[in-house]
Amino acid sequence: MLSVNVLLAACIGYVILLFSIAFIVDRRTRKKPIGWLHSPVVYTLSISVYCTSWTFYGAVGSAARNGLEFITIYLGPTLVFVGWWWLLRKLVRIGRAHKITSIADLISSRYGKSPSLAVIVTVIAVIATTPYIALQLQSVTRSYQVIAGEADGITTAFWIAAGMALFTILFGTRNLDANERHHGVVAAIAVEAIVKLCALLAVGIFATYSVADGLGDIFDDVTIEAIRGSGDIFGPRWATLMFLSATAIICLPRQFQVTVVENIEERHLATASWLFPLYLFGMTLFIMPIALVGLDVMPAGSNPDLYVLTLPLAKQQNELVLLAFLGGFSSATSMVILAAIAVSTMVSNHIVMPVALRLIPASKEVSGDVRSLLLTSRRISIGLILALGFLYFYVSGGSDALAAIGLIAFVGVAQFLPSLLGGVFWRGATRAGAISGLLIGFVFWVYTLFLPSFGGDFILSADAIEYGLWGIEVLRPQALFGLTDMDPLVHAVVWSVGCNALAFILISGLTQNNALEHLQSTLFVDVFRSAGGAPSSFSNAAADSEDLFVLAQRILGAEPARKLFDEMAHAQGQEEGLPHATDTVIARLERELSGSIGAASAHAMVTRIAGRQTVGMTELIDIADETQQLIETSRQLSEKSEELQNTAKQLRIVNERLRTLDAQKDDFLSQVSHELRTPMTSIRSFSEILMNDPDISETDKARFVSIIQDESLRLTRLLDEILDISRLEAGMSQIKLLQMDANDAVQAALDTVSGMTRTAGVRVKTDLDEGPVDILVNDDRLRQVMINVLSNAVKYNTASEPEIFVRTKRVNNSVFIDIIDNGGGVPADVSGSIFDKFTRGAHEGNNNGAGLGLAISLAIMRAMNGNLTLEHMPDKTNFFRLSLENPTANL
Amino acid sequence: MSDKIKPENLRPPRRKTLDRSIILLIVGAVLLMPPIIGISLVDSKFGGIPIPVLYVFLIWAVLIVSAAILSRPLRDNDRDVQPSNPENNL
Repeated sequence: MLSVNVLLAACIGYVILLFSIAFIVDRRTRKKPIGWLHSPVVYTLSISVYCTSWTFYGAVGSAARNGLEFITIYLGPTLVFVGWWWLLRKLVRIGRAHKITSIADLISSRYGKSPSLAVIVTVIAVIATTPYIALQLQSVTRSYQVIAGEADGITTAFWIAAGMALFTILFGTRNLDANERHHGVVAAIAVEAIVKLCALLAVGIFATYSVADGLGDIFDDVTIEAIRGSGDIFGPRWATLMFLSATAIICLPRQFQVTVVENIEERHLATASWLFPLYLFGMTLFIMPIALVGLDVMPAGSNPDLYVLTLPLAKQQNELVLLAFLGGFSSATSMVILAAIAVSTMVSNHIVMPVALRLIPASKEVSGDVRSLLLTSRRISIGLILALGFLYFYVSGGSDALAAIGLIAFVGVAQFLPSLLGGVFWRGATRAGAISGLLIGFVFWVYTLFLPSFGGDFILSADAIEYGLWGIEVLRPQALFGLTDMDPLVHAVVWSVGCNALAFILISGLTQNNALEHLQSTLFVDVFRSAGGAPSSFSNAAADSEDLFVLAQRILGAEPARKLFDEMAHAQGQEEGLPHATDTVIARLERELSGSIGAASAHAMVTRIAGRQTVGMTELIDIADETQQLIETSRQLSEKSEELQNTAKQLRIVNERLRTLDAQKDDFLSQVSHELRTPMTSIRSFSEILMNDPDISETDKARFVSIIQDESLRLTRLLDEILDISRLEAGMSQIKLLQMDANDAVQAALDTVSGMTRTAGVRVKTDLDEGPVDILVNDDRLRQVMINVLSNAVKYNTASEPEIFVRTKRVNNSVFIDIIDNGGGVPADVSGSIFDKFTRGAHEGNNNGAGLGLAISLAIMRAMNGNLTLEHMPDKTNFFRLSLENPTANL
Repeated sequence: MSDKIKPENLRPPRRKTLDRSIILLIVGAVLLMPPIIGISLVDSKFGGIPIPVLYVFLIWAVLIVSAAILSRPLRDNDRDVQPSNPENNL
């Protein structure tokens, strides 16, 4: 029989050994990294903290009770590691880029560094870890009782809890690493992993080949019932257990700690992807044989949870008993140390720190004061977590099978899964969605699984568990809303995880991300694309470097803070002094601080100094992924090309008009030269005759000279007209306008042409508007126009009794002067072009004018803000109308 | 440290490894989950070991070996990610 003293001495010696390993590794790491510690094997062994005393003792008990079912707890993690390591790789990458310290930090950081979310996750983690720690206390207590005889369970558990608390505080909070890494602890955990594997294999080999006669002998008389356990083994419970264990390997705070936070190199995951499943394979290989041999050999009524210990004990194998005890002790301590470190980090970062930040006056800034506060709060948190574990053990009485207690913790941490997966894969997941999912899942978990686990001793009475809260049947915790005939575990998972995921998705769909959430979501989801992206930016960096330095000193300690700031100053090209508080410096500082106190607290502290944080639109665009940028670019391009097309169209129209104008100008020039040519030709030919022929008579001479004179006059007139029209059209000729009576103007014009009308025998009639008809005109120019029109009317009138009718009238604010003749008006074929230059009426032969008269008249009228139009009558005759503005009409 | 996306990050072998590991996950999950795992529940033994036990451990072993083969190209780090040795921090 193994004596208690030997056992205690072995335990203490083992603890001292572990502590020395941790101590030496920590010291050596600070000087220079230790090679073997960086190997993927150590990383894998530290992940095997998954195998706790629940595996070491409980798996055998589970195999003895429920057959093959125990193996689901190891198949789930196997599937995650062999096939889903890329999720873990993404978590590791995110953890590295954002200096994530815990799963609470990851979730809160993803959803806009929300402090409330961090608190919720921390509370769930504490409550879910409590039964798990109680499980370790229970198994160590039981194993101690087996060897030491019937010692008082509660007292033993108390001392074990106290010892473990001390052990964890000594191990885990000796220093505050900038990345929350504990190299010493990881080394010690790796050693413990080897010890527990060897111990279990040793007991297994002993049971199989010493107690029994090989595997064939063990399975010889085993029926299918022993393997399938009671009931349908490959049913919903099997699937649920696979799901839970796969979730637990991702979501358990201590697994997150070793897999993500303590990860040194990403590529270590590649090795762990097969080595960790292999470790689990080794751990479970002899579980079934030990259980079967135990059932066969041990007396009826002995606890199958302790076969690993009682089997060698019954066979008087003292050394093996000691090894088995140390194996169980290793599994329990490694779990407690890491769980307590992980959860206490969360508690101190997300609950104690925010409260302390408010309570500590900002003026009392002592170097490293926050740092020492953090260490103290972590130590107290560790004590509290173990106290809670002990309390759970005390209240629940520790009567349940180990596996059942562990599964309660698994369902608890499974509540993190929707927010975690949604956070790293779904950009649309929002803070509100995560909070509501977590809270709903938590409530269902507490009500359907956690409280009933006390069997009526805590909050819920036994009656309430059996018949529902206040006797309401639909509220039965294990048959909620009438969901009966279900395994309590499956029932709890369906309600808690189901409602959690549903609420998470629904609320996320209904709510919007704010700017910081949006930024974080993109940085998390696209972590492989935006590697090293700044987790946050301050567009308004009015921060004082001095304040930031003080803050860094308070949290990191004097020396590391000095080092960090020197490095940042160096990066800015400064030889000495503090770096400028640029966005980059602030973001870097926040990231470094979040390595110590979590993203939410670091964000709150830095924001308090750096002023209000805002995420600018430009930054959001900057971090948007390439697709979005491509879409933006192509949209801008299409806008540009549309713009170009419009411009081209306008250019085409302008070009068209220019061409027309050019053609008109060419036309005009050719007409002008043609018009000039005729008089020039006759002048030249007559002057040639006069020069070359001396025999011309005096009468002919006089006639020729008079023709030359006439043609010269015509030429001059034509040139004057052309000059006039081009001046008028270019607006160069300033016409002075004066107010006068239109009737007077008409009368004066008629007086001028009276000789001409009399000669042609044309009768003139007038109908003048009463009273003075005021117009603003140039007297001479208006008369020029009227004479032109009147003389046309006289010249081209072909009626037998030619007659001209002139009238003036006011219509609204216009004044019309109509000149109507009875000659039938302008022929229809030229009426459209009558105002064009060099256009004459169809009266061939009467070739006196150059055809510029009407064009000049129109130009004059326009220059006087009036118009000259050809008005058509219903009887197809037409007349000329001079329209002018009435300057007094508006008075 | 370079923040740029490098083409070798997207090189086919890595992509292929990812695809194959997803296939491994799906095949493993289907074989080890109901209803498929139910076919192993026969009352006979092979080499003295009951068929359901043999079935589960055999698939488990195959998964481990496949994962070991698949993880080979991943043993090198991404070139743009530095190992976070303690001396690189601070």
